[in-house]
Amino acid sequence: MALAQKRYAMVIDMHRCIGCHACTVACKAEMAVPLEVNATWVKIIEKGPYPSTRRFYLPRLCNNCDNPICVRNCPTQASYKRDDGIVVVDPHRCIGCKYCIASCPYDVRYINPFKNIVEKCYFCQHRVDAGLEPACVEGCPTRAMIFGDRNDSKSEISQLLASNATTVLKEEMETGPNVYYIAADETAMSNVENGINYRTEGAFFKLRL
Amino acid sequence: MDNTDVNVVYSVQHQLPLVMYIAQYFFFTGLSAGSFVISVVATLLGRREFKPIGKITAILAPILLMIAPLNLIADLEQPLRFWHLFIFYNWTSPITYGSFLLTAYPIMGIIYAIMVFTNRQTPAKILGILGVPLAISVHGYTGFILALAKARALWNTAAMPTIFLVSAMVSGIGLVVVIAAARWKWFDKDATPEQRQSDKKLITQLATFMAYTIMLDLFLIVSDILVLLTAHSDAYQAGMLILTGNFAPIFLGVEIFLGSIVPMVLVLGPTRKSMKAIVIASILVNIGVYAMRFVMVIGGQTIPLS
Repeated sequence: MALAQKRYAMVIDMHRCIGCHACTVACKAEMAVPLEVNATWVKIIEKGPYPSTRRFYLPRLCNNCDNPICVRNCPTQASYKRDDGIVVVDPHRCIGCKYCIASCPYDVRYINPFKNIVEKCYFCQHRVDAGLEPACVEGCPTRAMIFGDRNDSKSEISQLLASNATTVLKEEMETGPNVYYIAADETAMSNVENGINYRTEGAFFKLRL
Repeated sequence: MDNTDVNVVYSVQHQLPLVMYIAQYFFFTGLSAGSFVISVVATLLGRREFKPIGKITAILAPILLMIAPLNLIADLEQPLRFWHLFIFYNWTSPITYGSFLLTAYPIMGIIYAIMVFTNRQTPAKILGILGVPLAISVHGYTGFILALAKARALWNTAAMPTIFLVSAMVSGIGLVVVIAAARWKWFDKDATPEQRQSDKKLITQLATFMAYTIMLDLFLIVSDILVLLTAHSDAYQAGMLILTGNFAPIFLGVEIFLGSIVPMVLVLGPTRKSMKAIVIASILVNIGVYAMRFVMVIGGQTIPLS
């Protein structure tokens, strides 16, 4: 490994998450994310029969994978991986073919309806470059989200990763996600649906033909 | 995951990225590749009675393939930036292969059509032999577009390019049969009775070949679904979506029954001598293949990812 090669990652501690959506709001404000699309959101599920029932949260954002399928499949190299591991989309290069959205196993990319290009979570690269933390991390009231360089052994994130059992979303996709979860619920991490297939409804009635 | 005690309170699902434009594009390239292959077969065999078929298909292939990419450009969010595909190519992306193939293949097809129409046999044959791999790759790569979009369980299978190629052959033959039959019915009056007889026989033979191709297509679809149903949970979900879910009416009803079984019976059954039955079968086959593109492209994306 190259000396001091930065590799930004995030740990989300589900012991601390209260499902308040502050990360969603911070992200919307910081990145000017339009209505109907989200770069960050908190998935909420209810599990178990009454009375042994509970809510589980799962903050979702781009995993900024080590081996991103979107970058591999982008036909114009508009999606690329920065040296510090952040996956970004060049807004001037993107032609909006949407193949990256179709390829992403995490459904974190979206078309910006105003700019007509693909956007996603960039770990707030402009803030990170200025030495700040991403907006969602700064907005989190319980410090459930911890951001940092996981190659720096003195950073809080690498110590958390070293001392906790962590999981990532869809490990079997071989994408090498950089968002790690502590104590996340397994059902919340899988693609559950309660009988309603939102996607199919959209397929028939909201086709953009 | 099938858990009845789970209720999703809030989750975000973004709009479908690939819509009907893409399904339509797959349909048109399939038609083009199918008719080009038939044209080359007719040219290579070089028999006199194959001439009209060879000419019809030679002109169809480039025309269809010029319509097809219009769908792609219309689908782009930034249509005026389409030239980025050629300047900023990425060799790991199947779309990059496609943008070069979609440029080379119509040019080749036009030159081939000129050779066929000016009766220059040797260059037509050479171009035909060179063009078949190009035609196969111009349609085969669309299968890779779906297969390499790893996230979608319905797409991510090695059978996808082959299924696309075989259904392209089916729809291509179907279109050629319809046009050849129209020519036989309305524009073939001056021909001698023997010529008309041999033309009719040729159309019947093409239709029979179409029925055999449908059998191969059905075999591939059945094997794909069998593997989907026995693979991991996402693949099982994808298999059940097209067998019992929201896409079952279109998949089982239109694609399999109307688009495969009925044409096969019409072409191979007691009505095999009837021109009407053959034409109806060929139209049904094209509807079925269009439905197949729809089920694959749209259905594959409807399984939620989160």
